[in-house]
Order: sequence, then structure tokens, then C-alpha cells
Amino acid sequence: MKKKFPVFSLLILMIIVIGCFGCGLFLTKDPRYMDLAHFDTAPNKEFLFGTDSMGRDIFSMIWYGGRISLLIGFLATLLSTFLAVLVGSAAGYAPAWADGILMRATELILSVPSLLLTIFLQAAAGKANRYSLAVVIGLTSWMGMAKVVRTEILQLKNTEYVLAAKCLGGGFFHLLWRHLVPGLVPSILFMVVMNVKNAMAAEATLSFMGLGLPVEEISWGSMLSLSENAFLTHAWWSVLIPGLFLVGTIFCLTNLGNYMRKSINKRHSNL
Amino acid sequence: MKSRYIIRIVYSVVKFALSVIVLSVLVFTISRLAPGDPLYAYYGERVEKMSMEEQEQAREKLGLGESIPTQYVRWFQGAIHGDFGISYKYKMDVKEVIAERIGNTFFLGGLGFALIFALSLFIGLFCAWREDKIADRVICGIGTLTSCIPEFWMSLLLILVFAVWLKWLPSSGAYSVGKERSLTDRTAHLILPLIVVVLGHLWYYAFQVRNRLLEEVREDYVLLARMKGLSGKRVLCRHCLRNVLPSYFSMMAIAFPHILGGTYVVETVFSYPGIGTLAYESARYQDYNLLMLVSLLTGTLVIFCNILAQWINACIDPRIGAGRESRQGEVGSL
Repeated sequence: MKKKFPVFSLLILMIIVIGCFGCGLFLTKDPRYMDLAHFDTAPNKEFLFGTDSMGRDIFSMIWYGGRISLLIGFLATLLSTFLAVLVGSAAGYAPAWADGILMRATELILSVPSLLLTIFLQAAAGKANRYSLAVVIGLTSWMGMAKVVRTEILQLKNTEYVLAAKCLGGGFFHLLWRHLVPGLVPSILFMVVMNVKNAMAAEATLSFMGLGLPVEEISWGSMLSLSENAFLTHAWWSVLIPGLFLVGTIFCLTNLGNYMRKSINKRHSNL
Repeated sequence: MKSRYIIRIVYSVVKFALSVIVLSVLVFTISRLAPGDPLYAYYGERVEKMSMEEQEQAREKLGLGESIPTQYVRWFQGAIHGDFGISYKYKMDVKEVIAERIGNTFFLGGLGFALIFALSLFIGLFCAWREDKIADRVICGIGTLTSCIPEFWMSLLLILVFAVWLKWLPSSGAYSVGKERSLTDRTAHLILPLIVVVLGHLWYYAFQVRNRLLEEVREDYVLLARMKGLSGKRVLCRHCLRNVLPSYFSMMAIAFPHILGGTYVVETVFSYPGIGTLAYESARYQDYNLLMLVSLLTGTLVIFCNILAQWINACIDPRIGAGRESRQGEVGSL
């Protein structure tokens, strides 16, 4: 059974990405301007998505803040993928005792609740900005993928073409980038896409809990951190709209990721 | 045979103890290197009015004046005697602070775990049985969509609908003031957090069961069983499920601490008095002793469950033995 390519997901994702990065072209309001005469306004013609409790226009903030959310998702994934490939392939390639140590260390980091780990790192990094947050999320999310990379490398390193390259005198990094990583791509591509979505969810969660970006730095997460006030004023739009954009983006990414996943059900069911 | 088992038990115990000690050193060092002043946790805003000498004295009193290794050794000596120090914020024994709340977390997490355990097995079976039929597709669609919703936003949504708009259920806490003993009141407070805990984890495990079953029904023995005249449902429940269960048990062993840890965010959003809110507070306000015990408790549980999962695997399938491969439990971030 052939999987259908998720056209709609890609389309929506492209609209969101292009809209966010090209928002300078169509935004009529300054997303940072606090219009104190119009705080907590319900959606209307002037403010398409309403305003938040600080009088900022949510329509502008969505597109403007989306850039930060997407950027953090992208940067954090870049870092975590790099770490995962490095640690995973080193562990898979190394002799058994070094492999054991690396994997125990990875499991140890996994055993610290990731929220605590993030709080530590965040505190160590000082005042949060978009880059420090991306680094913190990247540093706390490479372990799962590293295990998968290790398992794949264990299989790949015994193949003939890797042996041939080794016999020709290729060093570890040459082997890694020229022969092992290309072999890895199909099995971790799915996880990479999932990491983007996890990183975006993590940014939102942390900012919501007051551990991520401050309210002044607009992102989908920091917009949602104002939602406690919104319950008192019944300003449902400032809770629903940023969340819907976040969930929509994550949903589209998931669909794309699932398409890239190695298909297991090629044979027909015997049941 | 017997001596091999003893060696394996000793090996597991040593591994367990070593992991816990390394974990405690790690948490201890990082928490002390992180900026922030624990004096604020103890004295609150009064710190700003204290002179330098007074601050020094206070630090001395709390045992914060020495170097980190000395502090760790002192903490460790106390810890083996069961003395984990006092909480700076609550000004009482950390064990008491935790004892008050751990029941709430285990209640929420344990109930959530039980529901996830049963439901994911049921959903996985049902979807595998109806593979690619309408029901399967609808359930998978709902599952994918639900698993895309971050837990905190799902909580907000539920609060918005059921607490703010419909006013059916309370939005925060574990009980109303003055109704600590009322079961209905507690249940009412538990419903929303429980829904989020279950929906946040359910689909990952349900899809795992479904995928493993789908691999299983493509085996040749299924063909044989069908040929004998067994119905599809019976083959699925009697034969396929039995082959999937071992890996499901070991997966769920790893899942237990994961689900318990997953209540952190939920507890914070619903201001539910449990370990999660405590961990969050203690890390934010440098309440070192409390932080140490909370992280050690959760960490120990994770390490224990990991070893347990390996044991389950080894008991069911002796070929795995004490080999290098340990089954991975993918832990999504937060």
C-alpha cells in the first residue's frame, strides 16, 4: 500500500512559514505596540484576531511571533540532531566498553526529568533569549535519537562498503560523513521532523510556565503565557488563536514526518 | 545456573547504586553552580535588608559556606542516615514536605498509568483488528491530532470549556477548602488533570501496540491458524497478542516513571499539590535540599524501572540475557 503524500499539510505549513517570514509585507500594525485604549478587544474588523491583555494586536503577533517559534524549532533540532549523530555513531563505532559508558551516560541524562534539566540549564544560561532557549531545548532532546543512531550504526558498520572504505584507509570522520550518515538518513529523517515539532512544543510549554521567553519577546509560547489573565476576562481568543496556530503547525509536521517514516506494512495481512 | 542468577542480581544492584550516586553528584553540582541565591528561599525579601555579615552568618548556618565537594560529602553522610536536611522555603524536614504531596502525585499518575495501560492495549487491538477500515482510520486520525496538542494547551482548553464556560468542574487544586475528606469533591478536581495525563501519553503506546500487532499478523503462523479454522479475532487475541505482550510489559515498565514525570506540567497548570509543582518551585527558588530529594526520587524510580524492564525482557526471552541491547523507551521532550 503506497502512502499518500500529505499535500494539504505541506500547503498549510508553507503558508504559515511564508506568512511568518514575509510578515513585514502585509502587517499594518506594530506587534509590539501596546494600545492601552483597546486591551482585551474581541476580534473585529480592525483587530482581526482581537487584542491581548496588554493591548497588542494578536493578528500581527501571530505572524511576527511565529518566526521565533519556527526559528527555535529549527535551531534546537539542528543542535540535537548533530549531538545525536555524534554520540550515537561514536557509541556504535567504539569498542564495547566505551559504548557501555556512553550509553549509560545517555540513560542517566534521560533519567533526570527533562523539565528539571531544562530549568537547570536555563538558570545557568542566565536571562533567556531565543538562542539560549534553542540551545537548552537542543541539549535536552538528543538522547532518544542517539539511541536509534547507535543501533543503526551497529548494523551499518558491518556492511561491506564500510569495510571497503576502512580498508582504503578512511578515518572515523571520513567514514561518518561519507558513508555512515547517508545510510542513516532514511531512518532518522522521521525523528528529525518529530524533533522540530517537539522543540516547538517545548518552547511553548517553557514560555507558558515562565521559564522560557519573557512576555516582551513575542512567540506563540509567550503569547500563551498571558492566558491565566485571559480566563478572568473571558478573552478566549488570546488562548485559542495562538494555540491553534501552534497545534496546526505541529499537526502538519507530524503528517510530513509520518510520510517519511519507513513503511513497515509492505506485505499483505494474513489475518 | 543458580550462581549465574546471583551474579546477575549483584550486577543489577551495583549498577543501580552507582547510577543513583552519579545522579546525585550531577544534580548536586549543577544546582549549586546555577546562579541564584538560596537565601531568598529561606528569608524571602528580608535578605535585601541584611548586612554582609548577617548574610555570611546565615549562609554558615545553612551550611552553604563551604566548597561544593565538602557540602556534598556532608549531604551524603546525612542522606545515608535518612537525614536529607530541611527545606529552605517550608522550613521543615524535606521528607515531611514530600510526604504530604507524594500521595497526590501517585494517585494522579498511578490512575493515569492504569488507564493508559488498559486503554492503549484495547485501542491497539481494536485498530489492528480493523486495519485500514473506517474505524481504524478515524481512531488513528483522532490519535495523531490529539498527540499534536501540547499538554499545557490541552489543559487550558479543558479549563476554558469545562471550568470557565460550562462551570461544571473546578479549574485548580486537589480539593476545595473545608472539603478535604469529601470523595466527590476530590474526584471532581481529578477529572480534568487525569484526562490530560491520559490523552497526553495514550496514543504513543496505543500506536506501538497497533504497529507491533500489524507486524505480527503478517507472520506465517497466522496463516496456519486461520487455515485450521480459527476466526481472525481469536487468532489476534490468542496468538498475536501473546507474542506482543512481553515487549508491551517492558515498554510499560519504562513508561511508568515517564507518565509520573509527565504529570509535572499538568500539575503546574492545574495548581495540583504534587511532586511536580514542588520540583518546579524548588528548582526555581534554589531550595537545594528539597530539589535533591525530589530529583533523586524520580531519578531512582526511572533507573529502577529501566532495570526492571531489562529483567522482564531477559526473563521472557533468555537470548537477550545481560546483553548490550536494552529496549529503548523513547522519551519525548517534556
